[in-house]
Amino acid sequence: MVKTKKWIALLATLTLFGALFVGCSNTKSNESSNTKNPTGSAVDTKKSTDKPVDGGTLTVSSFSDIVSLNPIFVADSASGDVSRFVMASLYDLDRKGNLTAEPWSLAAAPLEVSEDGKTYTVKLKKEAKWSDGQPVTADDVIFTIDTFRNPKVGSPGIGQFDKVDKLEKVDDQTVKITLKQVFAPFQYSLFNQLIPYHVLKDVKPEQLKDNPYGKDPAKTVTNGSWKWSEWKRGQYLAFEKDPSYWGQQPHIDKVVYKIYADQNTEVQALMKGDTDLIQAIPVTQVEAVKKKDGLTVLLAPGPLYEYVAFNFKPENFPDNYVPFTGVKTRQAIATALNREGMIKNILKGTGTKLNAPFLPGTWADPGSAVTEYNYDPEAAKKLLAEDGWVAGSDGILTKDGHRFSFELQYNAGNSRRQQVAAVIQQNLKEVGIEVKPKAIDFSSWAENNLTPGKFPAVLLSWSLNNPDPDGEQTYSSKYFPPNGQNMGWYKNEKLDKLWVDGYSTVDQNERKKIYEEVGKEISTDLPYVFLYQYGLPQGLGSRVKYAEADAPEASLPYGYYFHIQNWWLTQ
Amino acid sequence: MTEYFIRRILQSLLVLVLVSIVTFGLIHAAPGGPTQIFLSPGLSQEAAKVQAHNLGLDQPIHIQYFKWVGGLLKGDLGYTFKNHVPVGEILWPTVGNTIILMGTAWILSLLIAVPWGIYNSTKPYGFSDQTSSFIAYIGFAMPTFWFGILLQELFALKLDWLPLSDMWTMGQEGNLSNLFMHMILPITVLTLGFLAAYSKYSRSSMLEVLEQDYIRTARAKGVKERKVIFRHALRNSLIPIITILGLDLPILVGGAALTERVFNWPGMGRLFIEMAVAREYSVLMAIALITAVVVVIGNLIADILYAIVDPRVQLGKGGKSA
Repeated sequence: MVKTKKWIALLATLTLFGALFVGCSNTKSNESSNTKNPTGSAVDTKKSTDKPVDGGTLTVSSFSDIVSLNPIFVADSASGDVSRFVMASLYDLDRKGNLTAEPWSLAAAPLEVSEDGKTYTVKLKKEAKWSDGQPVTADDVIFTIDTFRNPKVGSPGIGQFDKVDKLEKVDDQTVKITLKQVFAPFQYSLFNQLIPYHVLKDVKPEQLKDNPYGKDPAKTVTNGSWKWSEWKRGQYLAFEKDPSYWGQQPHIDKVVYKIYADQNTEVQALMKGDTDLIQAIPVTQVEAVKKKDGLTVLLAPGPLYEYVAFNFKPENFPDNYVPFTGVKTRQAIATALNREGMIKNILKGTGTKLNAPFLPGTWADPGSAVTEYNYDPEAAKKLLAEDGWVAGSDGILTKDGHRFSFELQYNAGNSRRQQVAAVIQQNLKEVGIEVKPKAIDFSSWAENNLTPGKFPAVLLSWSLNNPDPDGEQTYSSKYFPPNGQNMGWYKNEKLDKLWVDGYSTVDQNERKKIYEEVGKEISTDLPYVFLYQYGLPQGLGSRVKYAEADAPEASLPYGYYFHIQNWWLTQ
Repeated sequence: MTEYFIRRILQSLLVLVLVSIVTFGLIHAAPGGPTQIFLSPGLSQEAAKVQAHNLGLDQPIHIQYFKWVGGLLKGDLGYTFKNHVPVGEILWPTVGNTIILMGTAWILSLLIAVPWGIYNSTKPYGFSDQTSSFIAYIGFAMPTFWFGILLQELFALKLDWLPLSDMWTMGQEGNLSNLFMHMILPITVLTLGFLAAYSKYSRSSMLEVLEQDYIRTARAKGVKERKVIFRHALRNSLIPIITILGLDLPILVGGAALTERVFNWPGMGRLFIEMAVAREYSVLMAIALITAVVVVIGNLIADILYAIVDPRVQLGKGGKSA
């Protein structure tokens, strides 16, 4: 799990290009998902009870090329996707996001955690082998973690191993990892792939990036279900069954990962049968895809949510006056926003309301414990009046001589956000707050506003690529810019402590209780107004088949290839 | 002649140096540079610094520039930031692919447009001329990518006669008939675009020449119309067309980014967009430079062609050259 939380930079850029280059169809802008059927769509005809057959070539497609298949440098989604095919993970995730040892995982048994929660014991499968015939051993595990956390290497995943204190080789198949402190989310750092110690041990850390390992198929020793046979840059990658693979052979002979520059072309390719699986169908094209015989659209929400974040740092406002200081003011804004309307009209019904930063339906979801806000302009006006805001001569509220007017920033070219920003502007105008939406190019926005925490308010999303509910880096005052992602300079001591409590125990029931508390507090205090969870409709061609237990799971990272080892193709 | 060439080449070099400085400066001034890849959460400031140092991004910009130029002189275009792949390895195949696509469309459109334009100039506002105008309007007015999508919808999806996208069917690389099938749609789109411009240029240029005194004289002498057109008018009418061709030459390598995207053609235009999104400066710089070189060469070729078609153009004498 290299990616923990990231601004949806990729989506944002693609949105920009979608809007620019597929101008007439606004394509990419409405990535969203249906939450009525959280575990898959009603039209899923793939779930087959037939017997799997072996053979065939599965073509999956995407819109970007890989960077590297060396797990140490995998940070982009294309490389992450593709590495699933050639690299076995130490542990995998089950449908609910729990760490598990699957038949194709390198681990032989579920992860063992010591009584005190600090020591993790990883046991490898004896039969696990690299594609050059060498066994996968404890040395590989230790070497991989050491490489990740070596600053000279420059791994984007360095942060996930910063709590590691000691690595011990117990025997060839067993490693003991001791942490400096109890840190429950650490388990997900083991949903990771390994690099071969016997191949890379002599490479200098600072030269690992230049090494052909991960870039040249012939020089990339792997340990997964397929082996890497070809990389035609910018066009496709190919993976073939490996007769000497240590585990059970997958049903599919060959997987091709095809790169389409244009999303519209990618959807047409699915309709023509050039590709069998696409990760994202623009909302505007979902109906056309559904109409085509044999094609399946899966509308399940992904691991991302959208929000309006407030800034609490006075320097970011005229006269150094923060209008969001009062909790009732923030609650009034949450009450004034018509989120149902946004979901219905802008997301076309494909999104779920959300009041806390936990994905609905996951184990940490606080459910009804949170404070719920329903669209009610009158109640919002009342709350604002209670907080001391009075209507000025122009109808805009004022307090202590300050007009309630602020700029809401979002990234240019994202038409979903553009529409949502317009609704927010309209909704808040009704209660006497002036919003000035402002679109900024994503790169300069990230560099000049988000990273340094310089903005009045933003409309943005978080992608939760780690199933762990820990949100300390986003909401704790320990993580003010530029060292963390608490970009709105939000400080709440009770929450600061709760986040620490949340990761300081490995007992999931206890953690569940703590995150319920977090949910209550955060939904009442509102550092953000949480809007909705959304996702990307996935498209599947008619040849792809899987048993019910192996259906794609959109809420997981890489979930569109969930249990792909068990899928098969019909002709 | 030699003196003229030396002067032109020196001028061209100066232009290239200026272009390289300006592009290098502009690219590095843009927000969200390659260091953005270090923004991943959990990466400490120190670790980010180590990385910036490894990539040489912590050095002053003029030092970075000279290092880059130094590499260029040795034929080294640099490496990508994210995965340290030589730029040439990514770039050169796409240049070839773009030339195949654009070159074919260009030559095809010239072969159709110039004779057609000339024919139309002899019968202005006739049926053929009107048809050509109509096509030109469509060619100018219709966004190429949209036309491309229409063609794909009809010929690749509905009728299923032609492939939808790409340059080859996978596994058929090198099969020329496969390539030919893949080229039909994008070539149609591109040719229509070129055709519109070139047929109009050649028609109006020819019309202009036909009004000249020497043409009237020739006709008055009783020279056959055929001879008037091909012997007296044609060469002179080609001069402005050559100028346009020289200026259009960079399109051959620059590619039509939108057409390449829609048809998923692995060319340089498509690469440029992808690399701009990925902030891969070294690739962008290389593309900018190649384009600049081709512009310069294109102009040089145009100048030489002037001398061939128009004896009045005297190269290298008192700077009379065009």
